[in-house]
Amino acid sequence: MPHEGSSFPAAVWAILRKECRSEWRTRYGLNAALLFAVTSLTGVSFAIGRLSDRSDVLAALLWVVLLFASLASLSHAFVREVEGHTLTFLRLVASPTQIAIGKLVFNLLFLGVIELVTVPLFLVLMGAPPVHWGEFLALMTLGSVALATSSTLVGAVISQTRGRGALFAGVSFPLLLPVLAAAVSGTKSQWAGNPVSAEIRLLAAYAVALFAASLLLYDHLWED
Amino acid sequence: MLWRWLLFAWIVLFIVLAFVWAPLVPVLGPTTRVLYFHIPAAWVTVLALGWSMLHSVLYLRTRKIGHDDHAAAAAEIGLLFCITAAVSGALWAKAMWGAYWNWDPRETSIFFIMLIYAAYLALRAAVDDEQRRARLSAIYSAIAFVAVPFLMFVVPRIYFTLHPDPIINVRGKVDMDPRIRWVFLAMLIGMTGVYFWVQQLRVRVVRLERRLHPN
Amino acid sequence: MTVPATAIAAGHVTLTAKGLQHRYAGHRGLDPVEFDLDGPGVVAVVGANGSGKSTLLRIVAGLLRPSHGATTLTLDGREVPPPDRRHHIGYAAPELQFYVEFSVAENLRFAAEARGLAGPDAAVALALARVGLDSRAGDRVDALSSGMKQRLRIASALLHRPPVLLLDEAGSHLDEEGRLSLESIVAEEARTHLVVLATNEPREWSLAARRVELSGRGLGHPA
Repeated sequence: MPHEGSSFPAAVWAILRKECRSEWRTRYGLNAALLFAVTSLTGVSFAIGRLSDRSDVLAALLWVVLLFASLASLSHAFVREVEGHTLTFLRLVASPTQIAIGKLVFNLLFLGVIELVTVPLFLVLMGAPPVHWGEFLALMTLGSVALATSSTLVGAVISQTRGRGALFAGVSFPLLLPVLAAAVSGTKSQWAGNPVSAEIRLLAAYAVALFAASLLLYDHLWED
Repeated sequence: MLWRWLLFAWIVLFIVLAFVWAPLVPVLGPTTRVLYFHIPAAWVTVLALGWSMLHSVLYLRTRKIGHDDHAAAAAEIGLLFCITAAVSGALWAKAMWGAYWNWDPRETSIFFIMLIYAAYLALRAAVDDEQRRARLSAIYSAIAFVAVPFLMFVVPRIYFTLHPDPIINVRGKVDMDPRIRWVFLAMLIGMTGVYFWVQQLRVRVVRLERRLHPN
Repeated sequence: MTVPATAIAAGHVTLTAKGLQHRYAGHRGLDPVEFDLDGPGVVAVVGANGSGKSTLLRIVAGLLRPSHGATTLTLDGREVPPPDRRHHIGYAAPELQFYVEFSVAENLRFAAEARGLAGPDAAVALALARVGLDSRAGDRVDALSSGMKQRLRIASALLHRPPVLLLDEAGSHLDEEGRLSLESIVAEEARTHLVVLATNEPREWSLAARRVELSGRGLGHPA
C-alpha cells in the first residue's frame, strides 16, 4: 500500500495560508495587537516626549515596546486553535513540525506587520536621529526571528496549560532577554555610528540555536 | 544513614574552621567568610539547574516519570539555593561596596537563573495532568538550556557596555591562602552533599505521594 | 509522494493491543484491555459511558500516548508507528471540530492540501458527495446544524481514502437519511478497509461482525 507522503513545504504552505486567511477573516488578533503596540507607544511618547539626544534610552524603549507587543499577541496563534477546539483536526492533517513551522512563519509575518506600523511611528514620535538602515534592518529582522521562534514554541506549550497571557509572558521572558540585550545594544550602537557586528552575530547565533532546539522539540508537543 | 551524620559533622567542622583556622583575605576583611557560603550556594544553584535539565531531556527520551520527579525536585531545591546565593551575595555586596544590587555580571547571572527556575515552576503549576506536566515542563527546560549560556555569559557583558558603572566590583583574583582554599573546597563538597541529600528526600516524598494518591 | 484519488485496497490490516491502559489526572480513562483484530471488516467497541471507548480510539489514531501498554497497527505487514497513523486512519469523533470562519469545502480543501493529496478538489468533491453535503459545500461551518457537522466529520475521515476508519459515535445527531447514508458508507468501506465503530447505539453494533467490550467503570471511580 503506497505510503501517503505529503511534501513538507506544501503542508507548511497550506497551514500558513490557512492562518493568514483565518486572521484576515476574523482579524481580531491583528487589531488587538496593533492597538496594543500603538497604545504603548503613545503612552511612552506622551510621558517622555522627544528624546533626540538619548539614543540609549530610545533603543531601550523601542525594543521594550516591541517585546511587550509580542508578548501580548504572539500566543494568539495557538490559543485560537485551543479555543476553537480545532487542534485535533490540525494534528490529523499535518505533523507537529509542519504545524509549528507554519505557525512560526505566520508569527513572523504578524510581527512584521506590527513592526511596519510601530517602528516608523516610534521614530517619528520620539524624534529619533536618522537610522543606519542596513544595520537597523538587520537587527530588526534577526531580533524578530528570535522573538517569533521562541514565542511559537512557548505559545504551543502554554496553550496546553491553564495559564494564559501572564504565564506566556513570564515563561517567555528569560528566553527573550538575550534578544532584548543584543538588540538594544546594537540599536544604540548603530545610532552612534559604531559597528554592530557583534550584536548581529549574537542575535543570529541565538536565533539559530533556538530554532535548532525547537526542531528537536516540536514532535513532543502534542501527545494528548 | 551514617553518611548523613558524617555530612553533618563535616559541615560543622568546616564552619568552625572557617572562623578559627582560615585566615582573612586582606581585601575582603571579615566578610571573607561569605566565600564559604555564598559561592558554594551559587555552585549548587547551577548544579541543580543542570541536574533538572538533564532529567528533563531524559524524560523526553524515555517517558519514565522518575526523571520528571528528579527534574521537578531539582528545580525546587535549586530555586531555594538560588535565592540563598542571591541574598547572601547582596548582603556581601552591601558590606563590601555599599550597595545591595549592582547588576554586575554575577548578580545578573544569578538573577536570570532565578527567572528560569520561577518560570519552570510556574509552568508546572498550571498543568494538572502528570504526564502532560512532565512533558511540557521538559520541553521548556530543554529550550531554556539553550538560553542559559547566553544569559550567563553574554548578556551580563552587554549590560556593562550599556551601563558603565561608577561602582567597580573588584572580585578578581583572590590570592587564596591554602587554608582558605581547603575550607572553601570542603564547603563546596559539603554543600553539594546537602543538595543531593535534600534532592533524594524530595524525590522520595513525591513518589510516596504518588502511591498515596494514584494519578 | 502524493496519493492518487482512486480507491486504495487495504490489503491486510491488523490492529492489536497489549496491556493497554490509560490513566490521566486522577481518572482511570481506560481499563486494561487486549485485542487482536484484523481487517477488512467492521468491529464495534462497546462499553458503558466513560469506559474509555473514545480514549481507545484516540490512542489507535495516534492522538494520545497511553500511560501503559501500546497498540500496534500493521498494513500489509508493515508497522505504522503512532506519529504516522494520521496518514492511514480516518478519524471522526465528537471532539473533532472545524474552523468556523471557513466553509465546509474550505475546511476539507485545507485538509487535502496539508495532507498532500493529488487532485485535492476531486477528493473534496467525492467526500462531500458520499456524505450528502455537496449542496452545503459553500456554507460556513458555524451555519451548519449538528447533523451536518457530523456529516462533515465523516467526510473528513473519508477524504484521504484511508485503510482504517475510526468512527466514534458516528451516528450521533444524524437524521434518518444521514444514518442510512452512514450505514451504506460503513458497508462499502468494510469490504476493503477496517472500520472501528465506538458506539452505544444498538443500531450501530449490528453493523459489526466482531466486538471489543470495554469494562471500565467510568470517570471518577478509580479503584
